[in-house]
Amino acid sequence: MTQPVVHLSHIGFGSDKKPVLEHLSLEVGSGHFMGIIGPNGAGKSTLLSIIAGLIKPSAGHIDLFGKCLNRRTRQKLQRDLGYLHQVQSKLPDIPLRVRDVVAMGLSSYNTSLLQGLFTNKKADHDKITHALDLVEMTTHQDADFRRLSGGQQQRVRLARALVRQPKLLLLDEPSAALDSRHQEKLYQLLRKLCDEQGMTVLMVEHDIAAITSYVDSVACLNKNIHYHAKKGDTIPDEVWREMYGDHVNIVAHDASCIGCAPAAKHSSHGHHHD
Amino acid sequence: MIDFLNAFFNSPVMAGALFPALLIAVVTSSMSMFVLAHRLSFLTVGVSHASLAGLGIAVTLSLPLLPTAAVTAVAVALLLAIMPSRQGINEDAGTGVLFAGSMALGVMLISNANSYEVDLFGLLFGNILTVSEQDTTWITWGSLFVLLALLIWAKSWWSMAFDMVTAKASGIATSKLRLILYGVIGLTVVMCVKLAGIVLTTGLLVLPAACAWFWGRSMLSLWALSFTFSIIGTLGGLMWSYQYDLPSGASIIAMLCLLFIGSWFASWLKHHVFEVSHDF
Repeated sequence: MTQPVVHLSHIGFGSDKKPVLEHLSLEVGSGHFMGIIGPNGAGKSTLLSIIAGLIKPSAGHIDLFGKCLNRRTRQKLQRDLGYLHQVQSKLPDIPLRVRDVVAMGLSSYNTSLLQGLFTNKKADHDKITHALDLVEMTTHQDADFRRLSGGQQQRVRLARALVRQPKLLLLDEPSAALDSRHQEKLYQLLRKLCDEQGMTVLMVEHDIAAITSYVDSVACLNKNIHYHAKKGDTIPDEVWREMYGDHVNIVAHDASCIGCAPAAKHSSHGHHHD
Repeated sequence: MIDFLNAFFNSPVMAGALFPALLIAVVTSSMSMFVLAHRLSFLTVGVSHASLAGLGIAVTLSLPLLPTAAVTAVAVALLLAIMPSRQGINEDAGTGVLFAGSMALGVMLISNANSYEVDLFGLLFGNILTVSEQDTTWITWGSLFVLLALLIWAKSWWSMAFDMVTAKASGIATSKLRLILYGVIGLTVVMCVKLAGIVLTTGLLVLPAACAWFWGRSMLSLWALSFTFSIIGTLGGLMWSYQYDLPSGASIIAMLCLLFIGSWFASWLKHHVFEVSHDF
């Protein structure tokens, strides 16, 4: 078997009394598209931050691309990693053109101004144009980032994560602020990148029904992974109840839906309702 | 007009002051972009006032003024960078505490020194016209250091200002670079104190980029504009002070303020008169 892109073993985070994550183990291979679902406060964003090397887990071990993630290797491993976090507050009021924002995602961006003079500008320019093309923002490349709508800003941020052609892409609710048409396009694009470029995607989303036909698997997270459903699997009712509580009401989508309860096949919508 | 410019550039008072003043203008215009982008104007207020403690220590122990003040300012800036995250104190409050505490220490130390040793008015409001050769040497080395730091880290600092989390995830050593940024701002503040004084230093570190903010579209265009505003403000301010015998520091800041008002008004005109507005 080829080396997993992400290998987590017995990850813990938070205090013993109030753990955010505990005994979490997970293995994800190359080209795999995984959705992560779970209730609020389940530790989804924390898990992505840990894999991105932003915070250190209090227990456990992380391997990315077959190498141990630690203080020494962090920066090198991050070169192959794209990360899109949830924007908690308004982005700062800094004059930037759209293509400047995307350029920040290039590994060559974080070099000195002197070194910048000797980088291959044409290659960088092409990479930026390609990334903007993927999210359909090429026509806005010279626009002021501050003047874009929330959805457009989100697409530009995604282009920034994609521009370095990462091997591993971590997305925290990427569809926030996107309309349904662009949501669909986003999932299609991610599916394509996994299939054609072997990119591995870990994506936190709330709406399981929206992602189910695109992802390879869904991990149900609440402090640890309660269930990891592959395509064709169903997530048992007790897992839903364990994660969301007894008042959860599960309705199914279709036979190919990951995580749909067989008892409720008559419904045409695959949402779980708390 | 030509007579005035001749007299201005050939006056013995300006001969020694022009070079350090313009050097400071170059450095502050570059750093002011990062002060605004990282929202650190209150830090510059705190550090400039804290440098009074450094000057007090220098006067009491008969140490060279500018280097001692530089070490104190950089130390205070670094302390402010570390303190909030380590102790859970809000950065604003931390700055306020250090600002008041070191100012109090400075006042106590300076009040004990002989009055002829300290030009208090010069310290508080700046006087580039009394710059010594030694001061010029310190300012030159300090400026070279700051400009070198900018050459190396400007892009990373810009990226951090835009989105700290993504900057860290893309492999930038954000904690280390934040410390360096604070230290470099501390050093810049001390160089400004000679030109604009403790009270007015913040003006030099905020106004050039603030004038440019309305027009800049990228880091480099903002930098070029900020540089232009800073040079015009410094030269204009010095001429103003020369013509009407006004304090040099205050004249430069006042000139930069006028440029800011002009820039703001021009931007307002552009958006409200020349472009169709959709605002209510």
